[in-house]
Amino acid sequence: MSAASAAAAAPAPVPVVALRDVRFAWRPGRPVLDVPALEVAAGERLFVGGPSGSGKSTLLAVIGGVLVPQSGTVELLGRSLAGLRPAQRDALRAEHIGFLFQLFNLLPYLTVLDNVVLPCRFSAARRARATRGGRGVEAEAARLLGQLGLGDPELQARRVTELSIGQQQRVAAARAMIGAPALVIADEPTSALDADARMAFLDLLMAECRAAGSAVIFVSHDTALAAQFDRRITLHAPGVPHG
Amino acid sequence: MASPGTVIALAARSLWNRRGTALLTVFSIAVSVTLLLGVDRVRTEARASFANTISGTDLIVGARSGDLNLLLYSVFRIGNATNNITWQTYQELKDRREVAWTIPISLGDSHRGFRVMGTTLDYFEHYRFARDRGLEFAAGKPFAGVFEAVLGADVARDLGYRVGDRIALAHGLAATSFAMHDDKPFTVTGILRRTGTPVDRTVHVGLAGIEAIHLDWQSGTRLPGQSVSAEEAAARDLTPKAITAALVGLRSRAATFRLQRALNEYPAEPLSAVIPGVALQQLWELVGVVEVALIAVSAFVVLGGLLGMLAAILTSLNERRREMAILRAVGARPAHVFGLLVSEAFLLATTGVVLGMGLLYLLMAAGKGLVEDKLGIFISIRPPGPYDLAIAGLVMAAAIVMGALPAWRAYRNTLADGLTVRL
Repeated sequence: MSAASAAAAAPAPVPVVALRDVRFAWRPGRPVLDVPALEVAAGERLFVGGPSGSGKSTLLAVIGGVLVPQSGTVELLGRSLAGLRPAQRDALRAEHIGFLFQLFNLLPYLTVLDNVVLPCRFSAARRARATRGGRGVEAEAARLLGQLGLGDPELQARRVTELSIGQQQRVAAARAMIGAPALVIADEPTSALDADARMAFLDLLMAECRAAGSAVIFVSHDTALAAQFDRRITLHAPGVPHG
Repeated sequence: MASPGTVIALAARSLWNRRGTALLTVFSIAVSVTLLLGVDRVRTEARASFANTISGTDLIVGARSGDLNLLLYSVFRIGNATNNITWQTYQELKDRREVAWTIPISLGDSHRGFRVMGTTLDYFEHYRFARDRGLEFAAGKPFAGVFEAVLGADVARDLGYRVGDRIALAHGLAATSFAMHDDKPFTVTGILRRTGTPVDRTVHVGLAGIEAIHLDWQSGTRLPGQSVSAEEAAARDLTPKAITAALVGLRSRAATFRLQRALNEYPAEPLSAVIPGVALQQLWELVGVVEVALIAVSAFVVLGGLLGMLAAILTSLNERRREMAILRAVGARPAHVFGLLVSEAFLLATTGVVLGMGLLYLLMAAGKGLVEDKLGIFISIRPPGPYDLAIAGLVMAAAIVMGALPAWRAYRNTLADGLTVRL
């Protein structure tokens, strides 16, 4: 199992993510993930493809520090996750990673705006970055929503359950990006959208991440989307990445 | 790092989103809290009401009997006297140096279910209830003649009597007595203002009146051929031969125990002298067991309410795994998830307690009149006392402790689920 084309991207001084000899198995002897080397530079956009069951979500969980690999090292912004206590990993993740999932990303009982603001309530660093312009977190959330085509204040005050799936995913994108995290992890965020909405959503996401300087790790089985990214790797069951 | 306020606010929003089931839980806690606080209210109000019925009286003196029995029949019109005390003994008691005043009480007759009490004008002057309230007339004036009566407020209201009406007393205490003193009717001269004590349910007449209606009676039946007309009776010597009991006020409280002992060892006849407060204390000890049982039952009902809440939260956990995962993905730590669920239990219990207290006051306001009428117990509506606040605090604390169980489950779930739940 090998990491391909890793050398092609010029590594930044401190990569956002660096994996070395990472192996993860739910049951001993049957690894679902085996990554000899993988680096994501600051602002880099990485597409991770591969069929279901190939370990894509496991890779994201390992990068996010939710799963701890049996061997190898995982570094987030130069800090090794292995040496951290769970609470420290949680804090590091909350501060530096924005998450975006396939569906049901949002809390149904909060308004659109409150959902977007949520990461700033759990991370002081995210809050500080979001309010760097001297505005409140709500204003920053409204600005992000505006960039994603959800600028209507009446819509922002609605409960998320009243929105279409496409709108919900854009709200989730705004939430992942508030407070400019170093890394946005997107796990099949477009699979519930139709083809047109998919490309439009991806364009918006990429533009915003570029503006914020966030690196993106984008997981999808839809290889048509891969052209938009700086780099592309493909995982093959059981968890073998190919360039 | 999120503040506790954030977590509590999230818990409140989440609960509001599930307000249907949440309200049921809140109501079950509210009802149980109302019950627990209500039992205590009824208990303390009943005690206060009993304690308020007699005040200012230092000793109650009657024929030898149990302290409690003497108190109950002389003041609360509950039960019957076993024996009488002689008029001479009463006179000797009245004339003692340490005695400031006495109120003689003569019981045994009734009027349509209400008890008749023979007494003197001292009753209207010296009887005190509710700390230091004296008897007042809503209409009319005290009795003066032999065949005159003063009615308690309930008697007048229930039977529709007014000043000037004529009423016939019955021998004995049954509501439908065949032995009527109907040959010597009494005229109502006054109606007392409501007191919230058994006075309201009493027909008061002079001792002479009691004597007069019994002139031609012996051993509970009318003597044949010895009918005495009302006019003849009034002309006779109507000094009573005996009374049932006497309320005694002393010049100095310090003399109470000395006089009590002297009366209990009275050589001429066997007497009992009781201090009202002490006898009441005996009563409380007696009913204390029942009170404890009631409170224990109510406490278990509260526990039931809290267990219901626990069950509701626990069953909600599975369908809320996604909610927890989302929170984790936006940066909430497992500790926050734990706090979220404890907050939820706390909010449910707090709302339940507040609602329960509101319900209690609503019930008290609504039931006040009925309880006064039917039980003669005055309910004062006062703000929550230390007991109420302690109960409220206890329920909330118990809720927090119980909330730790689902919180722990959710905590474990979150660790296992990570940031996504595939449902």
